[in-house]
Amino acid sequence: MRFIFKNLNLLRSTLNAINMSFEIKEIVESAGTHLPNLFEFSAFGLLWKETATLYLYQEESCPPSFTQEVAQNMVRVFSLLGEEPNDLNQVTLQVEKRRLRPDHMKMDPKATLKSYLTLPLTIEEEILGCVSLNSDQSNAFDAEDLQFFSVIGHQMAATLKHFQRFSSIKTIAIYDPLTNLYNRRYFEERLTGEAQRAFYGGSSLSLIMIDIDHFKKINDTFGHTEGDKVLQEIATLLKSSVRKKDTVARYGGEEFVIILPEAGLEEANMIAERIRKLVETTLLTIGKVQMNITISLGISNFPIHRPKSKEELVRMADHALYEAKRAGRNRVCIFRES
Amino acid sequence: MAIRMEERERLTGVSDRLLDLYLNLLREIWEVVSALIGESVLSLLFRLAIQKAGEKYGFLGLLKVTEEGIWMEGLGEYRTVTPSEIHRGFQGLINHLFNLFSALTEGVISREVFPKVFPKLREAERILSQK
Repeated sequence: MRFIFKNLNLLRSTLNAINMSFEIKEIVESAGTHLPNLFEFSAFGLLWKETATLYLYQEESCPPSFTQEVAQNMVRVFSLLGEEPNDLNQVTLQVEKRRLRPDHMKMDPKATLKSYLTLPLTIEEEILGCVSLNSDQSNAFDAEDLQFFSVIGHQMAATLKHFQRFSSIKTIAIYDPLTNLYNRRYFEERLTGEAQRAFYGGSSLSLIMIDIDHFKKINDTFGHTEGDKVLQEIATLLKSSVRKKDTVARYGGEEFVIILPEAGLEEANMIAERIRKLVETTLLTIGKVQMNITISLGISNFPIHRPKSKEELVRMADHALYEAKRAGRNRVCIFRES
Repeated sequence: MAIRMEERERLTGVSDRLLDLYLNLLREIWEVVSALIGESVLSLLFRLAIQKAGEKYGFLGLLKVTEEGIWMEGLGEYRTVTPSEIHRGFQGLINHLFNLFSALTEGVISREVFPKVFPKLREAERILSQK
């Protein structure tokens, strides 16, 4: 009886850990950390259908041939359920190695897969993937293991479903549906974080505001559908011109904004100029006509322009953009006190 | 060739007994296996097995599965199915089910369920041989 209670307590803490996870890698990590308390296994796998990724959490002495065998078996079993991916070549493998056994029980370099338990992750009649416990020992698992593992699998499925729902809501909440850039709300949120980091941490922070020149004319001449295409093309060019850590967002209408963390004025100016030239030299097809479009850009920077708040940083970049427009468009202007 | 009335009634009696036996067996399998892997995974496996076996034995499509369990709709439609077809159809379904159990958990589920299945299959064969 004491043994059952001990196992139930371990199960409860495993389920809690899974439930508290915020992303799939955390689920695998939580499961990998807790499962050795309940089962003796060599590798734990989670195949996530949505991204065709197989996460393997395994004993550090697992030979590569064993890893391969486990991965192949999981994909094979998953395909028997009529699901894809059904070929290991279509799967991205992510392997975490941990010490699950004492030194004297290290795995034989020629170890092969001798027993396994695989369960589909299913919820509301949808198959999200599968989970698997694998061992290099024969008959490593019994009915009680299966019962425990199925409860864990069910909790994982529920948590993963929750992630799925959350991620689609998150997508709606933070992206602009036309350009696929971040929307203004997300920009504000991101800028708050970056400004705090810069203002209190003393690092640089630059902002570039961008406006498409004569966009109204494009809309009036070619119609809104073509205008939307121009917005999409410009968005793609912007995304391709920035660093990984930068955030490109649609600010509204034909205005865009870029947050450049840890970028000094010189670097921001270089990026802005690169974007301006790229847009200017890219031939866009609008309706049946091919033409060049230009943009105007305004830059502000912390600490050089000494903004007291993120709002002021935005106002400064906007002011610089206005100056660029006034000076004849198709140019980059850096904020200057007037 | 037309079947005489009394012959048809006798065959229907056999079909009913077989049907009764196999439905009870499926419910027993459900009871044992749902305790091991949970209703949602089990209903998925049942649906897959029914779909696969149903390709050859269309009458199996009358079986309905949810997380609540397994049951049959439109019992009357079985009247048109011969006893041996019922026997083969359910045997096929149980085979597919066991293939899935083995693919997922090797012998762990099968070991728990087989003692219940084997005597029932023997009984079904006995009923069939009496027809």
